[in-house]
Amino acid sequence: MRKERKAAKQLGFIIAAFMVCWIPYFVIFMTRCHKHRIRKPGFDLILEKVRMAAEHTEKDPANQKLQFAPFSSALEAGFWHQLTQKKLNDYRLDESPKSIKGYYYNGDPVGLPTRLTLEFSAFDVTGPTPARCCPAFGTLYNTNTLEAFKSCDKKALLEKEANEIWETMQSETVLENPSLLSKFLLLTFADLKKYRFYYWFCFPALCFTEGIQIIAQPVPLEEKFSPKQIMALQGAYDNLCNESGATAVPYFLIKYTEEDVVVSSLRSWNNFFKGQKKVCVGIYDPCTLSQHPGWPLRNLLILIASKWGSMLDSVEVLCFRDRTLQGKRSVQHSIIFQVQLPELSLSAGCPKSVGWEKNQKGTMGPRMVNLSECMDPKRLAESSVDLNLKLMRWRLVPSLDLEKVVSIKCLLLGAGTLGCNVARTLMGWGVRHITFVDNAKISYSNPVRQPLYEFEDCLNGGKSKALAAVERLKKIFPGVNAEGYNMSIPMPGHPVNFSEVTMSQALRDVEQLEALISAHDVIFLLMDTRESRWLPTVMAASQRKLIINAALGFDTFVVMRHGLKKPKHSESGGSTPSSSASTPASASSSSSPPGPAFVPGASLFSNIPGHRLGCYFCNDVVAPGDSTRDRTLDQQCTVSRPGLAMIAGALAVELMVSILQHPEGGYAVASSSDDRMNEPPTSLGLVPHQIRGFLSRFDNVLPASLAFDKCTACSPIVLDHYEREGFQFLSKVFNSSHSFLEDLTGLTLLHQETQAAEIWDMSDDESV
Amino acid sequence: MTGERGQGSDGFCLDEGTFRLGCQLLVQHSRTLDDGWSWEEVQGSEEGFLKKTVLAVGRTGDPPAQGGSSWLGDDADTLRPEEDQVLQDKDVEEADGDEEHADSEKASVIRYEYHVLYSCSYQAPVLYFRASTLDGRSLSLEEMWDNVHPNYRTRLLQGPWDTITQQEHPLIGQPFFVLHPCRTQEFMTPVLSAARAENRSVNYIVSWLSLVGPVPTPLVSLQTGLRGHGVTYTWTAKRTMSETARYLLESRD
Repeated sequence: MRKERKAAKQLGFIIAAFMVCWIPYFVIFMTRCHKHRIRKPGFDLILEKVRMAAEHTEKDPANQKLQFAPFSSALEAGFWHQLTQKKLNDYRLDESPKSIKGYYYNGDPVGLPTRLTLEFSAFDVTGPTPARCCPAFGTLYNTNTLEAFKSCDKKALLEKEANEIWETMQSETVLENPSLLSKFLLLTFADLKKYRFYYWFCFPALCFTEGIQIIAQPVPLEEKFSPKQIMALQGAYDNLCNESGATAVPYFLIKYTEEDVVVSSLRSWNNFFKGQKKVCVGIYDPCTLSQHPGWPLRNLLILIASKWGSMLDSVEVLCFRDRTLQGKRSVQHSIIFQVQLPELSLSAGCPKSVGWEKNQKGTMGPRMVNLSECMDPKRLAESSVDLNLKLMRWRLVPSLDLEKVVSIKCLLLGAGTLGCNVARTLMGWGVRHITFVDNAKISYSNPVRQPLYEFEDCLNGGKSKALAAVERLKKIFPGVNAEGYNMSIPMPGHPVNFSEVTMSQALRDVEQLEALISAHDVIFLLMDTRESRWLPTVMAASQRKLIINAALGFDTFVVMRHGLKKPKHSESGGSTPSSSASTPASASSSSSPPGPAFVPGASLFSNIPGHRLGCYFCNDVVAPGDSTRDRTLDQQCTVSRPGLAMIAGALAVELMVSILQHPEGGYAVASSSDDRMNEPPTSLGLVPHQIRGFLSRFDNVLPASLAFDKCTACSPIVLDHYEREGFQFLSKVFNSSHSFLEDLTGLTLLHQETQAAEIWDMSDDESV
Repeated sequence: MTGERGQGSDGFCLDEGTFRLGCQLLVQHSRTLDDGWSWEEVQGSEEGFLKKTVLAVGRTGDPPAQGGSSWLGDDADTLRPEEDQVLQDKDVEEADGDEEHADSEKASVIRYEYHVLYSCSYQAPVLYFRASTLDGRSLSLEEMWDNVHPNYRTRLLQGPWDTITQQEHPLIGQPFFVLHPCRTQEFMTPVLSAARAENRSVNYIVSWLSLVGPVPTPLVSLQTGLRGHGVTYTWTAKRTMSETARYLLESRD
């Protein structure tokens, strides 16, 4: 019992504490919402409704003041484009006011804001106004600096404009041209470096100091007029438009009886009304609200008060709204109401004025629009390239996964004929991330074959290829994320142990290359010697990165993907099929092995899974060594048919793209020439291991071969030594003759066993 | 009603004269319906294009106010005189309290612009379009698709609306999205050959619009778009609409 009471007490305390703690929050939240108008659609709407309802009931209907819906500025993208052109070509530093023209429309469906629209044609003041729109003439103040925009005296600008409107009212010109009543100001600053446009609209309206008394509440026209009267009004208005040669007349005078409705233009006031105490005027009303007229009425009422106010008891106002929905015209939804105009003393001069537009937050301030998306040429180039690529998916390859291609990071080792062509084809596929490694300078013979260089690049000893290639890629497509590394790749048989300096340089180069390979998804081997491909082959094999290799002979080439070793920690056992090998990069880190270790039906030459495919060195029974030393000149430099590099470079990229489309990526089973008639494994077709081309016969074949367990680059023993000993092992390879690797892998033994081996030399070392 | 043979004797190409005539007739008819098509002349040239603008309430990615907010804040001091002055003006303040007005403050009105140009190389009409907010910022394609009902979006993307590219408008030099014209002849051929077989004349432009036309407006709003177009274009030939339906069905398979 006591326990229970104690528990109840405790509970009471807890609840009380809870309430005390939370009350300030509730209070602040409620007041804040109200103050700052946190615009949560539902909540806000309810809030507004409640407020409006309260206002309606509070106020005595007889004492209600007329409220006007302000204009919202509406700018077409074309307006900003044209302003940019004008600023660059005509205005330049000229800040003087310019005449522009906008328009408003009265056929909007309910729900759209009352708009004053400025489009592309706004600068052509004498040009035509769109059909069924009323023109509004404005003044553009375009400042040269943001400071000038900010410090511009907005109050003075408004007053100046209001005075002009007031003067036109006094001078009768407004009766001839009533559109002078609806004028606007536009203050702008165009930041053409960032494509940001700051602007502030003003729709000057003169005001009665004490507001305007409503005598008869606004009602839809159909409640006041018979269908016959509405028809007559419609006809009379159309006639007035025809007479004045426009498709819309902003202001007009109305007389109506049970039988008929007649309208007339503003200038015939005296003849039309002949001293009537009660008059009816019409405005072409851009507003769609059922209880409020639009902004253009304000200055008309001032005009009426200043000219004829003393003679009038009341003014009836028809807000003429004319829309066509589904081919059916209607003006029934126009609204009509009566007001009593306060007296306006002419001697006091121009009444006070309002009109600066609020910004999107509902506060008095300028607006800013950022148009870099549609004006910055770089952004446009990027979106155009992407959209153009997407066209491929249309019916041709609907399942093409472009994202995989576009997001791939490519490392191009070699920026010569092959490198240039590979880079261009990658750009064609929208690949953004391209890195070059090359140690050469551009020579005079290069530009004709290497499409990223020009004659100018060869002058004064020539620019570095890797850096010049990056520069050019950015010129071609600024959206590319390209980097260049002017560095050498240490090679077997090319000693680095001449001095401390050369040793530490080699160490740095090795570390740099390791870092680069690890930072990329696909490594392209595009160098001019066979032995320079050895180090990246070992590193990429160890890091499980996809290698695409291209090499040229005189009229033959090979383009191949290296076998992609299985992920390290599952090498021994696993045989579950992979589902996660989306890219080679992710595959290398994925825990599930890519495919069965043994594929049924796999023979020496067919159905070889990606992880059992050979590398560039697997077919060789000699280790790479210094191939340039004992060669004649023609074997060291470019002696390939000029078209060959373009063909091979293009094929290298296309091979990569096809591999990326395969669900198993680099682990995909190699397609061979025999698969040409079968169902292709990817949406783009086959994923061969090698493409060997023979230009003399204009023929390609698609061989596939197994990884060689005594390979001097990708065999387990080499990778094991590299992974365990690192640079120590590598420097041994660089500094020794080729027998070191041959001894290590057992090739020497093999040599002794086989007396003669047929060696098919692809003479890749003769390339660029 | 407003017939003009849009094809030569040997194919269903559209020559420029016929294109203009077709547009002219469409604009004439549109004027009676007030559905917004107009012919826009390019200043200082003979050329022109068919144009229509539609406004609708929709969603846009980022609120346009965001970017400028930083200095809008520190500018408040210098602007206070006006603010006070306007705050005294009851009319403005209270009209501002209207719910419709509050809606417009969220700046979610989207303006869709459709331009129809003649392509000499494809001998076909080409649809250029863009959508922008009321402050003139063009929407990205993703933002545009976001405003299409998902069910409808899937269907459209299988039809002719998957061939969107981006190009500079050849007459006004601003970036627009383009519905690529390379398949236009292909999908126009059944319509035109059916009409020819019955010896009935059709307005190429109207038929073409009823094939691609029902598509852009649903970007605005599914229902009003379909209704609007149904009424607008069935006057040419009820047949065309059923052809359209059949085409869309076939192309879905």
